[in-house]
Amino acid sequence: MKGKQIITSWLAAKELKPFQFQEEAWEAYQQGKSGLVNAPTGFGKTFSLFLAVVIAWIDKHPEQYRKKYKNGLQLLWISPLRALAKDIARAMTEVLEELQIPWQVGIRSGDTSISTRASQKKQMPEIMIITPESLHILLAQRDYPAHFKHLTTIVADEWHELIGTKRGVMVELALSRLKGITAEENRPPLKIWGISATIGNLEEAMQVLMGTHYQDAVIIRAQLKKNIALKSVIPAEMDKYPWAGHLGLKMLPQAIPVIMASQTTLLFTNTRSQSEIWYQSLLTACPELAGAIALHHGSIDAELRIWVEEALHNGILKVVVCTASLDLGVDFRPVDTVIQVGSPKGVARFLQRAGRSGHQPNAISNIYFLPTHALELVEAAALKAAMEEELIESRMPVLLAWDVLLQYLMTLAVSDGFHANDIWEEVRNTYCYQHMTPEDWQWILAFLTTGGDALFSYDEFKKMDRSGNFFRCTSRMLAMRHRLHIGTIVSDVMMKVKFMSGGYVGVIEEGFISRLQPGDSFTLAGRNLEFVMTKDMTAFVRKSTSKRTIVPSWQGGRIPLSSNLGWMLRRKFNEALSRRTKDPELLALQPLFNLQEDLSHIPKDDELLIEHIQTEDGYHLFVYPFEGRLVHEVMAALLAWRISRITPITFSIAMNDYGFELLSDQPIPLTAENSKALFTTDNLTTELQASVNSTEMARRKFRDIAVIAGLIFQGYPGKNKANRHLQASSSLLFNVFRDYDPHNLLLQQAFNEAFFYQMEEARLRETLDRIAVSKIVVTHPEKLTPFCFPIKVDSLRDTMTSEKLADRIKKLIAANG
Amino acid sequence: MTGEIFFYRSQHWQLLPERAIYWQEEQALIVSDLHLGKATHFRKSGIAVPAGIVAEDLFRLQRLITRYQPTQIIITGDMFHSHENKEVDYFEVWRRQFPNIRFHLVVGNHDIMPEEIYSRLNIHISPTLTLRNIHFIHEPCGHDNGYTYTFSGHLHPGYVMAGMARQRLRLPCFYFSRHCCILPAFGEFTGLASMNAEVDEPVFVIAGDSVVRAQ
Repeated sequence: MKGKQIITSWLAAKELKPFQFQEEAWEAYQQGKSGLVNAPTGFGKTFSLFLAVVIAWIDKHPEQYRKKYKNGLQLLWISPLRALAKDIARAMTEVLEELQIPWQVGIRSGDTSISTRASQKKQMPEIMIITPESLHILLAQRDYPAHFKHLTTIVADEWHELIGTKRGVMVELALSRLKGITAEENRPPLKIWGISATIGNLEEAMQVLMGTHYQDAVIIRAQLKKNIALKSVIPAEMDKYPWAGHLGLKMLPQAIPVIMASQTTLLFTNTRSQSEIWYQSLLTACPELAGAIALHHGSIDAELRIWVEEALHNGILKVVVCTASLDLGVDFRPVDTVIQVGSPKGVARFLQRAGRSGHQPNAISNIYFLPTHALELVEAAALKAAMEEELIESRMPVLLAWDVLLQYLMTLAVSDGFHANDIWEEVRNTYCYQHMTPEDWQWILAFLTTGGDALFSYDEFKKMDRSGNFFRCTSRMLAMRHRLHIGTIVSDVMMKVKFMSGGYVGVIEEGFISRLQPGDSFTLAGRNLEFVMTKDMTAFVRKSTSKRTIVPSWQGGRIPLSSNLGWMLRRKFNEALSRRTKDPELLALQPLFNLQEDLSHIPKDDELLIEHIQTEDGYHLFVYPFEGRLVHEVMAALLAWRISRITPITFSIAMNDYGFELLSDQPIPLTAENSKALFTTDNLTTELQASVNSTEMARRKFRDIAVIAGLIFQGYPGKNKANRHLQASSSLLFNVFRDYDPHNLLLQQAFNEAFFYQMEEARLRETLDRIAVSKIVVTHPEKLTPFCFPIKVDSLRDTMTSEKLADRIKKLIAANG
Repeated sequence: MTGEIFFYRSQHWQLLPERAIYWQEEQALIVSDLHLGKATHFRKSGIAVPAGIVAEDLFRLQRLITRYQPTQIIITGDMFHSHENKEVDYFEVWRRQFPNIRFHLVVGNHDIMPEEIYSRLNIHISPTLTLRNIHFIHEPCGHDNGYTYTFSGHLHPGYVMAGMARQRLRLPCFYFSRHCCILPAFGEFTGLASMNAEVDEPVFVIAGDSVVRAQ
């Protein structure tokens, strides 16, 4: 009991009192339980678990706790962000010093120096804050169990960020091994805790962390609610506001007063290119911001980013234009306003960004929503309603990620080697791999030792050696290569950008640079640069005086609408139509709705709108289910396939979050009469497989899988372009696996990921069921409508055909004439 | 599966969907960029690409040989992917089926094995080759080099076809540029690079089992 007294009186001396959820967490921890703490940021969630460990330590050594040095690693604190690690370490160290407990707090991440690593190896600190990747790198070292001899507790911080990602699977696997070591050494079971913001599936999130064998885990909820004030910025000239677009620059004049009236503003954009453009435009419109404005995104030099973060702490910046790179992380107390440009596409993400302002407990978080096109205002109204009703998305856990498992087994093979039977037991008790079969496991082991089907006598595959059931990698070269490639975050090949005169600007996708000619100008890190040449994976540039520059568009910037928000969006359209709404956003859109109604129709809750429009591009068919881009992509392919069974026809397909378009060079035979049959759920599963270009989707998914599983050799840092003969694109690897090894589990994983994550089959089925009981309204507008406009001009495209390849080519040739 | 006979620079070039050219006047089969041994090179480094690719590639070449009965095979470079490995031994066994066919390799940047290995495999090597004033060299040249015409590889050419309603296709191709024909890569374990052909330059795409003139 002494520990709790010491802590509460230490807090009382600072005129602080523990929150109820903190005391509950301390209590549960002292009972030896594991669990999950659910609390918003800014309410001391770190202390709910860190102090629990301290209390237990004092209780265990009531007389000696101020004298015991070099106790070995007690608490492993897994954090998804390096930036977060520093802040947490600082806070913990302060507390320990005030309590005069001589514990060390260490950080282990990609940034940790070699000398620090070496001294940590000799003497582990009592607390280590670590990223999932660095934890696996520890497991890749000889005698790694020695590090964890005294470990009692593991905390996974920001678990909502990790669950649903392959980094989360890395945590699951590492935990399975650490539990295994503890059991081998007959020590009491580890206490495992997570910290998570509110998500739709907290219970499941806890199970994923615990694995299948841990019962008796508890969820501790902080009954604290964050005050969020959402204000939509309604365009001054609504009737002239564009129907499509994704930059929102027209709103800039209305953003400036908000920035000027606030202490510090974070301006969130959805893509890096958009942030570059906003930064430039703000500076042009408001030159007095020079020195008080900064840019923060994933392609900016790390040092510069750290400087921006420090400057945010110190309150010397007025506004920072940023992307998801600042979604998470440390509190910047001076920030009192957040501006979101364009839809955040999900309730959870919006809440997270809103929470970046007013970080102190009980402060109000101010967030302004700036639409990038007119219809997006409806999303603001939908977000507001979803927030009030706490309609927060779930994060679905990753299942059977073979790529991560292959990487993990190689990690164990390069350190001390592993006994397959023991590891099989451990891995199968994780949530991710609970449904792995013995056949899967044998395939995995074979893939690592013989390289899959080794039917050929001339085969020279080398990776792991096997003696009985013991597996180990003996090649030093392979081991070194593996240690450098641990991790599941796959980015494009990045090139450094440097000035000819020296000086580092940032990094940029190789694909972007490869399209530039010397003399072309582009924008990066808020600077206008002229491309001079590339050499050794570095693009050399000089300052550009050109007025016209290209802003690189980075891949992967687009996030689909969540189903929660889609549902709310349909409700809001219904409200708008009823003309009984009080939402200022919907009232502002009334002229647009009137035009849509005049030209075509506004669908009610129980209607599906389909528009036939002919333009010089060809024959368009627009369909509006409001279900988010992913569902639309699949639904469009399905509809295209079903129509193409009526007549040979080729479509190009486009979609956004509101609907999709089929475009053809011939009239599309969809009528009010046959439309119901075209949206039926009959034969859905088989027709989906036939219709969706699952091969292309899988091919895209395969890219990350191939890198994580170690099939793509990315070269050594600083030794670029060596080993040219080992370069192959993931697309090429995908082709050869498909043609020569169709049963490859990694290939199957790619298809599974495409079906479950990309196609969201369950959600599609629900949508079709909804359409089955809806009225389908088919219109023939004379010209493009406000609804169809954003799809036509601003969307991603795909192809679907029932014509023979040779016929298509003939047509294409004829068209090119 | 006979492909397309293209009469060009006074010669008959039979463009084959198997990614090869049969040159009727010389009774020669022309192929490029086989990259034999690539899969094994990967597998030796612990990257488990399927092992059967080379067998398929050589089987395709074998079918062409039995169908067209060439007296010689001209390879415009990158016949082997890297250093010697057991796929090279496999090729050696395969090669013995055709002792009377001359294999002439115009060396490419990947062909880095010692000369004695090529002679053991009964392959003639040289930096270039000229027959009937037709020139063969691995890397394409962008200027008039004085020969009637030039054949090259190296680029693994692909052709993008775009049409109405934003349709798009990318296929391997034979690209007859002004001074030089670029052959598609023969090996299955190779990628594609898109060519920007001028409007008056003939391009033939490989569409499944037929060859179609695209422009």
